[in-house]
Amino acid sequence: MAHAHAHFDEAGGVLIVRGDWDADAAAALPDLAGKRVRAIDGAGLTRLDTNGAWLLLNAVRPQPDAPLPELRGFVPRHRALWALVARHDVAAAAQPSPPRIGVRALAGRGALAMWGHLVGLLDFVGRLTLELLTLLARPRLWRWREFGAQLRDIFVGAIPIITGMLFLLGVVFAYLLGDQAKRYGANIFVVDGLLAAILREISPVIVAVLVAGRTGAAITAQIGTMKVTEEIDAIRTLGLSPLAVLVIPRTLALVIALPLLVFLGDIAGILGGMVVAKGQLDISFHMFLDRTADVLLLKTLLVGLGKAPVFAVFIALIACRMGLTVTRDARSVGAHTTSTVVQSLVAIILLNALFAVMFVRLEI
Amino acid sequence: MAETVIDVRDVSTTLGGHAIHRGVSLSVARGEVVALIGGSGTGKSVLLREIIGLQKPQAGRIELFGQSVWDATPEQMNRLRRRFGVLFQDGALFSSLTVEDNVATPLFEHTRLPRPTCRQLARLKLAMVGLPEAAAKKRPSELSGGMRKRVALARALALDPELLFLDEPTSGLDPISARAFDRLIRLLADSLGLTVFLVTHDLDTLFSIIDRVIVLSDGRVLGAGTIDQLKHIDDPWLTEYFAARASREESAHGS
Repeated sequence: MAHAHAHFDEAGGVLIVRGDWDADAAAALPDLAGKRVRAIDGAGLTRLDTNGAWLLLNAVRPQPDAPLPELRGFVPRHRALWALVARHDVAAAAQPSPPRIGVRALAGRGALAMWGHLVGLLDFVGRLTLELLTLLARPRLWRWREFGAQLRDIFVGAIPIITGMLFLLGVVFAYLLGDQAKRYGANIFVVDGLLAAILREISPVIVAVLVAGRTGAAITAQIGTMKVTEEIDAIRTLGLSPLAVLVIPRTLALVIALPLLVFLGDIAGILGGMVVAKGQLDISFHMFLDRTADVLLLKTLLVGLGKAPVFAVFIALIACRMGLTVTRDARSVGAHTTSTVVQSLVAIILLNALFAVMFVRLEI
Repeated sequence: MAETVIDVRDVSTTLGGHAIHRGVSLSVARGEVVALIGGSGTGKSVLLREIIGLQKPQAGRIELFGQSVWDATPEQMNRLRRRFGVLFQDGALFSSLTVEDNVATPLFEHTRLPRPTCRQLARLKLAMVGLPEAAAKKRPSELSGGMRKRVALARALALDPELLFLDEPTSGLDPISARAFDRLIRLLADSLGLTVFLVTHDLDTLFSIIDRVIVLSDGRVLGAGTIDQLKHIDDPWLTEYFAARASREESAHGS
């Protein structure tokens, strides 16, 4: 291995190169700015590859239309390689780096993307409705087995995380509430507050958020990967509709599973509150349940459970649509899965705010 | 006698209790274009993976440029990897990068050149494998199968290797693209002084661009030499293999 070496002879305009010229030879090049190289003496070259030849060419000829320097002492193989590189050099011309994107442009693109998602979701709802109408006419085409498998994954698989999280949230909420209530001797009202908060707001929203992160992301990744491996196209060519085979069973399973999970979350949250109430506030389990029977209105429970299917429809639609719009590369699957979670969370929060205003206006 | 670039000695491989190689020995000299052929399941691709250091054989010795692949330290192996390029069967392009960045990736990782220079070199390589300039900014998924193979070849050539491994270079290509790809490989091998080791099923590739053929059969090297030399070997699989070509030519002449 001979190290690359270059020396520029100013008098004759000759660049003398020696040693191995490859991609690592760039450091050996002298500064040739503003100097005209008339010839290259390559008699001392021990090795020349295309990377090395191009680095040399690029250094002696900054503009592609400038005349090529004369070659001296090159062995035929190096001369042929030099010619090959010079012939294809046009393609390797320097390109301006892409323009930097400003904040305004980014904001504009973001707004357009959001608008695109909204329109896309509407379009998707329309196509899904048409598909549902065909399915209603032909009940034989329902995919019950797929529906069952999805229900098992979405509902049974989520029970540990949902109950665990809601139990802890019940503990925290009861603890903070109890701390305040104790100062006024209003211990027993902690039960009222806890029931309203868990059943109406905390359980539906938190369960929906967890399901969006867990199931929504999984749906997008799965359908997206099927898109990449052309499975969706295979489904189409078999005369089946991807909407009927993939989207409708998942949507239905989510709509059924989410209220059930919210109900389990309600119970876990109340249990968490009961434990704290007993330890911190001296409210026995019996007292807690007595109070619950007195103050809990059926509508409090139903408001929470009623929000769940609406959240479920949005999570399912967003997740399936993002899965089906994956393009055929690996990065797209990741980007779309992220987008599903973000869109679902935004939808859940917005819908919940809408519900809150609506219920106040309707005096529920 | 030219320098030996690939030297495989008594390699034995067992996969899942199945003896794939039982003492395979072969060698390739500098500047040769050599094809490895054999029926399905004779372990051609496995042997290729062993030579490039992706899979360890149970016994035997594999040397590239006189350096044992399976005794090399990680640094030695990295230096060795700069000296050979691999074209995988399906191209194995990185789907999240543009074509240009795919080809520039080996340069990003293994040289100290600035990134714009790496991209310029990548475009030079793309021009050398005959891709239009417009392809450089596209993603692999936007290209046809033949173009993807060319991009993969450009990536294999990015670091100007002395040795090129090709796994089924023409599989999945239509006959016209396949022949064009064959000619490109031979042209590059000649003009860059490459040693080429390829695994193939394609008889036309064998007859058009190969210097020497190595036949793998029943866990051993059945024979090695030019096609004319191989035709004299008495082996049922080999006879049938070449007969397939002869009958095709006959029917072509007959019509």
